[in-house]
Amino acid sequence: MTATDFFSLMPLIIIATAAVIVMILIAVKRNHSVVAGVSLAAFALAFLSLFRITAVTPHTLPPLLIIDNYALFYMGLIFAASFAVTLLSYNYLKSYNFNLEEYYILLLLAALGASTLAISQHFVSIFLGLEILSVSLYALIAYVRTWERNLEAGLKYLILAAQSSAFLLFGMALVYASLGSMNINDMAQLLSGANLGPLALIGFALMIVGIGFKLAVVPFHLWTPDVYHGAPAPVTAFIATVSKGGVFALLLRFFVAIDIYNYESLVIAFSVIAIASMIFGNVLALLQNNVKRILAYSSIAHLGYLLVAFLSGNNLSVDAATLYLTAYAITIMGAFSIVSLLSGKEQESDKLEDYRGLFWRRPVLSAVFTAMMFSLAGIPLTAGFIGKYFILSAGVHSAKWLLVIVLVLTSVIGLFYYLRIVVAMYSAPTDDMPSQPGISRSVSFSGVLVLAGLTILLVWFGVFPQGFISLIQNMVSSLQDVYLSMIV
Amino acid sequence: MILIWLIAILMIGGILAWISQSWHKNAPRWIALIAAGVDFVLVAVIWLQNLSKVDLTGQSQWLFEVNYQWIPQWGISFFLAMDGLSLLMALLTTFLGLLSVVVSWTEIKERVGFFHFNLLWILAGIMGVFTALDLFLFYFFWEVMLVPMYFLIGIWGHENRIYAAYKFFIFTQASGLLMLLSILGLYVIHGQNTGNYTFNYFHLLGTDISLFTAAWLMLGFLIAFIVKLPAVPFHNWLPDAHTEAPTAGSVILAGLLLKTGAYGLLRFVIPLFPDISELFTPAAMMLGVLGILYGAKLAYAQIDLKRLVAYTSVSHMGFVILAVFSLNELALQGAVMQMICHGISTGALFILVGAMHERIHTRNIEDMGGMWETVPRMGGVGMLFAMASLGLPGLGNFVAEFLILVGAYQVSIFWTVLATVGLIAATVYSLRIVQRVFHGEKIKDWKIPDFNVREMVVMGSMIAVIVWLGLFPQSVLNTAKHTLNSLQQRKVIEQTAWQTDSQTLNQNTSENKTIIK
Amino acid sequence: MSNEIQLWPFAVYTLSVFLIVAIMVILSHFLGQRHKEKETGEAYESGIMTTGTARLRISPQFYVIAMFFLIFDLEAVFIITWAIAFKEVGWVGYLGILVFIGILLVVLLYEWRIGALDYAVSGKKIVKKFKQLNKEVI
Repeated sequence: MTATDFFSLMPLIIIATAAVIVMILIAVKRNHSVVAGVSLAAFALAFLSLFRITAVTPHTLPPLLIIDNYALFYMGLIFAASFAVTLLSYNYLKSYNFNLEEYYILLLLAALGASTLAISQHFVSIFLGLEILSVSLYALIAYVRTWERNLEAGLKYLILAAQSSAFLLFGMALVYASLGSMNINDMAQLLSGANLGPLALIGFALMIVGIGFKLAVVPFHLWTPDVYHGAPAPVTAFIATVSKGGVFALLLRFFVAIDIYNYESLVIAFSVIAIASMIFGNVLALLQNNVKRILAYSSIAHLGYLLVAFLSGNNLSVDAATLYLTAYAITIMGAFSIVSLLSGKEQESDKLEDYRGLFWRRPVLSAVFTAMMFSLAGIPLTAGFIGKYFILSAGVHSAKWLLVIVLVLTSVIGLFYYLRIVVAMYSAPTDDMPSQPGISRSVSFSGVLVLAGLTILLVWFGVFPQGFISLIQNMVSSLQDVYLSMIV
Repeated sequence: MILIWLIAILMIGGILAWISQSWHKNAPRWIALIAAGVDFVLVAVIWLQNLSKVDLTGQSQWLFEVNYQWIPQWGISFFLAMDGLSLLMALLTTFLGLLSVVVSWTEIKERVGFFHFNLLWILAGIMGVFTALDLFLFYFFWEVMLVPMYFLIGIWGHENRIYAAYKFFIFTQASGLLMLLSILGLYVIHGQNTGNYTFNYFHLLGTDISLFTAAWLMLGFLIAFIVKLPAVPFHNWLPDAHTEAPTAGSVILAGLLLKTGAYGLLRFVIPLFPDISELFTPAAMMLGVLGILYGAKLAYAQIDLKRLVAYTSVSHMGFVILAVFSLNELALQGAVMQMICHGISTGALFILVGAMHERIHTRNIEDMGGMWETVPRMGGVGMLFAMASLGLPGLGNFVAEFLILVGAYQVSIFWTVLATVGLIAATVYSLRIVQRVFHGEKIKDWKIPDFNVREMVVMGSMIAVIVWLGLFPQSVLNTAKHTLNSLQQRKVIEQTAWQTDSQTLNQNTSENKTIIK
Repeated sequence: MSNEIQLWPFAVYTLSVFLIVAIMVILSHFLGQRHKEKETGEAYESGIMTTGTARLRISPQFYVIAMFFLIFDLEAVFIITWAIAFKEVGWVGYLGILVFIGILLVVLLYEWRIGALDYAVSGKKIVKKFKQLNKEVI
C-alpha cells in the first residue's frame, strides 16, 4: 500500500470514517441534526475529493480494485444522489420520534457498498460491495417499523435479495471453476473471444439472475413494486438511484471488459430481458393507482431502455447508458423528493387521488413534478429527452431495429401513465376530496434546496447538454480505452 | 437574429404572462396581446420588405438564417432560417396567434396566466417548427408545441377534455417518435457515408440512400406529418381535439398545427426523399381524395357544430396532400394557398362557433335555427365563411382549390375528378351550416347579444384577409415562389437522373407559368 | 483446457444422489408399517404426558446477547487470521487490524451506550421514561 493507494481510496475512507463517527456521536448523545449534518458533510467531502483524485487515475490496486475516471463518475453520481437522499430523509424523518440516527449509518454504509461496486474488478470485491449495499438496504427499507407495509417490504427484499446473492455467488463459483480466475481483466484475457464452456455459460446465466434482481429487470422484478411502495420515500429514491447506479456501473464494466458482444447467447439473453422489461414495465404500470407503484414499474421499463443502450455495442453505448442513467437519476430523485415532501406523518401521499387538483393548491411543486414526469416520458426541454435520444441514436447506429422500435412503441405506452399523473394534478379540485395532511404542509428549506437543484439540473441538462456530454465522454471513455488496449 | 427574437418574444411573453397573473387579472391578457402583436408586426414588416425581392432570380431562397452550435458532439446546431414559405407560415402563425389572444378575452375566466403561457408557448413552438433547419431542432420544436397544446385542451376544454387531450397527445407523440427514428436513421446513414455526423438540413439533402431504406425512413416522416395533417386513417384524434379545445385552441389547432404537417411534407419529405415521393404519388393522391370525400361525408353527418367544422378540416387538408404529391408548380402553389386560406376560414368558423357556444351554451345544431334575425352580424359572417369553405370565387379558398385541381389534373385525371366531387360535398355541408343555424324555423325566441366591437374587429380582419387572398393571390404566390421553384428544380434533376422525359415536364411548367401570368 | 473436463461423472453423481433418496423415501412409504392411534403424535408413547408448548418465550435480550456473541466470536477469526500471517502482511496489515479493532471498540461503546448490553432493563430508566411521559401528558 502506497500513499497513492490511500489517496485514491480517499472517498471510500471518508464515507467509512463518517459512519464510525456517526456511531460515536450516537454513543455520546443522540442528536438528529448533528448526525444528519455529519453525513451531509461526508458526502460532500467525498464528492469533492473525487476532483483531486483525477490527478492519479487510472490507478489499480491489484487485485481487487481499480480507480479510473469511469469509476469516479459513477462515484460522483452515487455521492450526489446520497447527498440529496440525506437532505430528504432529514426532512422526512423529523416527524417520527423513534431512534432516527442509525438511519444515517445505514445510508453511509449503503453508499459505501455502491461505490465499492463502481471500483471493483474482482469477484471478491464485487460480492463484498453488493453485500454491504444489500444488508444496509434490508434495514433501511424496513426503517419505519410502524407501518405494516414497510415491514412487508423489508422482509420481501431480505428474502429475495439473499436468494439472488446466492445465485450470484454460485454463478461466480462456476465461472471461477471454468476459467480459473476471479479477476475481470484476467478473465477477459482468458476468454478473449473463445467459446464459453458449459460451466462458464451456466455461471454467467446465474450471475445474470443475481445482477438482474438488483437491477429489477423482468423476470426478476417481482419485488420492485412492493418494495418501492412499502419503503420510506427517500429510501425508495436511494434504491432507484444509488443502488441501481452502482450495480449498473459494475455490469457495464464487467461486460465491456469481457467484451460480451462476442457471445451471441449472452447478447440474446440480455435482448430478451431488455424487451421483456420495456414491455412488462410499461404495460403493468398502466394498471396501477399508486404513484410509487407506477414509478416502480416505470423504473423496470427504464432499466430496459438502459439495456438497449448497453446492447448497442458500439462506441456510443457506454456513453449513452451513462448519460441516460444520470438523467434518470436526476429525474427519479426529483419525483421521489416530491412524494416524500408531500407525505404526512401517518402515511405517505402516494395514491393517485392525493394528487388530484394539486396544481391549484401547490402550483410550483406540481410544475416541478410535471417536469419530472415529462422527463421520464422523454419530452424535450428535459434531461430525459436527451437521454432517450442518445439511446435511440446508439441503437440506430448499430442497426438494432427491433430493440429501438420496441423502445419507441413502449415509451408511447409509457406516456399514458405519466399523463395520468399529470392529468390528476391538473384536474379541477373537487370539494368532497379527503384532505391530505401532507399536501398542505409547507415544504422545508432542505426540501426546497433539493427540488430547486434537481429542477435546474433537469432543465439545464435538457437544454444545454453539451457540457454534460463532454464530461461523460471524458470520464467514461476511459473504460473502453482501458479494456480495448488490454485486449489488443 | 430576428428569427431568434421572433421565438424569444413569445416565450418570454408567456413566462411574463404567467407571473403577472398575481399582479392584475387582466395583466396576462395584455402581455400576451403585446407579445403576439409585436411578433405579428415584425413578421409583417419582413414580409412587406421582401415582397418585391423574393421573386428575383439568382438570389438565395433563404432570407435570413442564424446558426449556432448547440450540441457539437452530436452535430446538432441551433439553425434557424426563413424562406418565402416559412415567412408565409410565420405570418399566418402570428396573425392567428394575435386573434386567438383576442377571442379568449372573455371566454377564459380561470387560470388566465397559465392559459396565456400555454398559448404563447404553442405559438413559439410552431414558429420554431416553421423556421428550424436542423432536423434535431425541428423535432425539438415539434414536441415543444405539443405539450402546451395538451394542457390547453386538458385544462380549459369542454366536457370530454381529458379523453381528447390524451388522444391528441398520444397520437402526435407516437408519430413524432417514429419521425425521430427516421431522423436518426438519416443522420446515421449520412454520417456513415460521409463521416460527417450532422443534422443540418442542407447536408442531409443529398444523402445517398438505397431505395429500400429510403422508403422506411420516409414512412417515419410521413406518418408524423400525415397524422398531423391529418390524412384519413390517422385522423380520428382531430375531431375530438378540435371539439373539446377552447376556441383559441381550436383556432390554433386547425389554423396552425395542421399546417405544420403540410409544411413538413413540403420542407422535408419531398426534398429529402424525392425518388420515393415520386413512387408514392399514386398512394398519396388516393389518401388525399379519401380524406376529401370521407371528411366531407362525416362533416355532413355531424350535429355538433364544432365537430362539423373539424371534419371539414379533414376534407380541406385532403386537398393539400393531393397537391403536395402532384409535385408541379400549380399544385404546390395551390397547396400553399390552401394552407393559408384554410387557416383563416376554418379559424373564423371556429371563432364563430365559440362565440355561439359562449352565448347559448350548446353546440348542438338541432338546438339552433332561425338566428339570423336576432344576430344578423353573426349570420353574415357565418354566411361569408361558409361560402369561403365551399370555395366561392372571389375568396381565397377558390383560388387554392382551383390551382390544386388544375395541378393534380396533369398527374391523374381519375383522382382529380373524384376530388372535384369533394367540392360539391363541401357546398352541401357548408350550406347546411347556414341553413340549420341561421335560417329555418325559429325554434326559440333568441335573446342573445350579437357580435360586439371586439369580435367584429377580429372577424373584420379575417374577412379582409380572405377577400384579399381571393382577389390578389399573387402577393402570396410570389413570396412562396422561390421555395416552390427549388422544390421543382430538385424534382427536375431527379427526373433526368431517372431518365424520364424531363423535357415535357419543363414544357409543362413553362406553360403553367404562362397560365398564371 | 480446464473447462473441457468431462462433466458426465458429475451428472451421474447428482442423478444417483437424487435416485437413492427417492428410492429410500418411496420404498419406506410402501414397506414401512403405518398406524394411527391416539398417542401416535405424542413425543413419547410412554412416560410423562407433555404439558404446555415447546416454544418457550425467552427474553429478547437473550437473543441480542447471543447475536453479539456470534458477531464478536467471528471477529476473532479475522484477528487470528491476521496473527498467522503477521510477518507476511507487515505494517499495512498491522494498520488494518488496528482499524479493525478500533471499529470493534467503537461498536462496543455504541452498544453499551444504547443499552444493548443491559440484560435487564434498568429500573432507573423506567422511572425516568415514566416521568417524561407524565410530563408530556400534562
